[in-house]
Amino acid sequence: METYKGETLFIQHFKNEEARSLDYYKKKMIGYESAKKALAMSQDDIINEVKKSNLRGRGGAGFPTGTKWGFIPKQSAKPKYLVCNADESEPGTFKDRDIMRYTPHTLIEGMIIGGFAIGSNVGYIYIRGEYTREFTLLNEAIDEAYKAGYLGKNILGTQFSFDLTVHRGAGAYICGEETGLLNSLEGKRGEPRVKPPFPAQSGAFAGPTIVNNVETLASIPFIIQKGGEWFSKLSKIEKSGGTRLLGVSGHVKKPGLYELPAGGVTLRQLIYDYCGGILNDRKLKAVIPGGSSAPVLTADEIDVIYDIEPLQKIGTMMGSAAVMVVSEDYCMVKLIQRITKFYAHESCGQCTPCREGCKWMEDILHRIEHGHGREQDLALLLSIADNINGKTLCALGDAAAGPVSSFVKKFRGDFEAHIRGKKCPNA
Amino acid sequence: MPKCIIDGREVEFKPGQNLVEVAASVGIEIPVFCYHPGLTVVAQCRMCAIEIEKMPKLQTACSTPAAEGMVVKTKSDRVKQNQKSVMEFLLINHPLDCPICDKSGECDLQDNSYKYGDSYMRTTEERRTYMDLDMGPVIQKSMNRCIHCTRCIRFGQEIAGIHEMVAVQRGNNTEITTIDGRPLETDYAGNYSDICPTGSLTLKDFRFKKRVWYLKKTPTVCEGCSRGCNMEIQQDANTVYRCVPRTNMEINKYWLCDEGRFNYQYIHDAARVLNPAVSGGTAGLQMTEWSQAVVAARSSLDGKKPMVLVGSDLTQEEVQALQQFLNKHLSGTPIFHFGTPGVTSTQKDGAADPILKRKSKTANLNGLEKLGIKGFESVPSGVNAAIIFRGGRAVVPELKGVGTKVGVGVFNKPDAEDFHAILPGTSFAEKDGTIFNFEGREQKFKRAILPQGQSKNLPEILMLWANSGAVGGAA
Repeated sequence: METYKGETLFIQHFKNEEARSLDYYKKKMIGYESAKKALAMSQDDIINEVKKSNLRGRGGAGFPTGTKWGFIPKQSAKPKYLVCNADESEPGTFKDRDIMRYTPHTLIEGMIIGGFAIGSNVGYIYIRGEYTREFTLLNEAIDEAYKAGYLGKNILGTQFSFDLTVHRGAGAYICGEETGLLNSLEGKRGEPRVKPPFPAQSGAFAGPTIVNNVETLASIPFIIQKGGEWFSKLSKIEKSGGTRLLGVSGHVKKPGLYELPAGGVTLRQLIYDYCGGILNDRKLKAVIPGGSSAPVLTADEIDVIYDIEPLQKIGTMMGSAAVMVVSEDYCMVKLIQRITKFYAHESCGQCTPCREGCKWMEDILHRIEHGHGREQDLALLLSIADNINGKTLCALGDAAAGPVSSFVKKFRGDFEAHIRGKKCPNA
Repeated sequence: MPKCIIDGREVEFKPGQNLVEVAASVGIEIPVFCYHPGLTVVAQCRMCAIEIEKMPKLQTACSTPAAEGMVVKTKSDRVKQNQKSVMEFLLINHPLDCPICDKSGECDLQDNSYKYGDSYMRTTEERRTYMDLDMGPVIQKSMNRCIHCTRCIRFGQEIAGIHEMVAVQRGNNTEITTIDGRPLETDYAGNYSDICPTGSLTLKDFRFKKRVWYLKKTPTVCEGCSRGCNMEIQQDANTVYRCVPRTNMEINKYWLCDEGRFNYQYIHDAARVLNPAVSGGTAGLQMTEWSQAVVAARSSLDGKKPMVLVGSDLTQEEVQALQQFLNKHLSGTPIFHFGTPGVTSTQKDGAADPILKRKSKTANLNGLEKLGIKGFESVPSGVNAAIIFRGGRAVVPELKGVGTKVGVGVFNKPDAEDFHAILPGTSFAEKDGTIFNFEGREQKFKRAILPQGQSKNLPEILMLWANSGAVGGAA
């Protein structure tokens, strides 16, 4: 089994209960030196450094962070906000949790720098409700930072002030969608907003707002410390900088978090070399490469470089870098039924195709899995998925439709076996 | 003006106008459910998705402002496919109970289904059902028919100023309801039914009374207060079944208050005096013939010193005819207007709420002032009789020392027991006329139904009076 010997940012500190203290952060990590450095830089220089780093959003969309920050208007009548999306709820994803648990100060320092760069004095960390322990740990770290003068008024003796609040969600997946998050943050129903306007024009409390993922923001201090160019060269692929925290789950021998250079491995290498192969040495059946909303890959499709563009080229996505591995003895129909049930349950109910379509797909999949499927159901499923895909208010519809289409297209035989045999062959 | 191209036609637009409006301006319909011009845009129903050149995904027309040179297709295959699909999604859980639904015939869901949907369905799943709680006296809720457009929620928050309708639960289980299932509180609840694109929110008042396709519609002006909201009387066979708002951006926009909406009910009230009547002493009012009633009315004033009270719910035409009549036949008789207790002049009128309602509960206070008539404050000395002209709204003031009362117009039996004679007149629905609202805006309205019972229009009554021999009174 291989382990990565090169430079990593986070993972060496994970599982170390000492790592989260400010003391450790100052001795072993950046210790707010980057914030100090950034506060002496111009806002444009910081944004340019982030652009140079090729840091791309770690939440799922992979949007270049520096470019996003550049969208914030310099002048604004309303206060600007920096919001950290810590509503890590894409099934299979568990990387942000460890950042908040073991290296919370990287996130806080990243937010100070980000806040300064976009001209915001107020930051929010919107954390998923189930992360109770991380909520406490983050607040402890924030308290430490306030006491040490890294947060609050006139940070490090400069003119810059920045306040940071942790806001807990109430357990809705849709609040990970950035405008749903903002609504929830404002105390409204967690429903995505119509875009445009995008948050950079009108976000939290109608002020210009940047919403970034935890890992994205936690990477910022490293970029400021060692430079954008250094960060971009950590990766093994163009257009994508730094290392990536990959969460591997499912039927592998060694599931868990891996930190590897962006584009540093193929999916096959990740599964067989790093994760030790399939559990009980069974055969690989399928891989869901980027959280449960990513279209599925078959065992033949895993010789793909694991990064944003290569995965996009073969019709799937890297998403939140959550790799779910499925072995040959698991029922694909049952799996997609469970995934679809999740999206139907998490649909906010605002827009028609998602509200009605996700539940309909779930009902049909349930019927097939339980041996009551009909021949025409597969065409119907594809048609419904097509009627949802790209036609909803936010990306949740796509997240539900993509997997269904890909499962039906790539594992049609499994579905047909259920329908013709009138039961689940694996049951 | 900037131009865009819709379905190959060059269309001018005002900057900021959305594509639904721009297309409608040249008669191109883009179907909508959640979009309402008077409410914020939420782009939820996805029915209005259209194709815009250079944009890979379909875009919702309601949330897309037209732009110079934009090329829009509203009838492409992709657009039609989306419309079919949205209709299919919306009908998965709709009960399709049109035969027993009051909305049938004027239902957006039904209309759009015929125009844009498929005639067959692919769903075999059981439909979603909800329990309905009572929403108070105005609105009947049938949540099973709801398509979650949220117009009602937005109307409450944005127009009625009360956050009473909400969405609870999530996704497929989303329910549109009131907070904690409480009854509706707003005085504008009728609008919930107007804007509901399905039969989810219907009027209890109108429920099961008439299929809408039998209704004949007459544009009118509400007589409920001095704003003069534009509305439509809907009747069949001389019976008014309901009133609905008519859009007038200058006055009431799309809305109507419940008081105005249900004001029509007195027209068919069983207590309304619809036959000429004269006092029968202790026996109360007795029905009689017009000729006898006029004579009785006239002779009751013999040897008396009368005044004339004219309701500010009468039209300009009626009051002018009355003034001519008085000049000729009862000259010197003092004349006052009455309408709302405490609001004896336009000075005392004012907004009764931040939305539409005014303090003056009659529609033509301004008009009567224009005709030089003063508000009634108290009975002038020496006056011991009154001829009271009233439409359906004005509140007859207390008349101390007035022993003889003659009523001309719309009266209810319990209020008119001590009158010497009633000459039944017509309500706003039974006549044409002109009124001036509080801003001085002149508005005409049309007769919607024939005078009820034996009632007659005022000029006709005055004619009968004038022709009934010597005119009575002090003169």
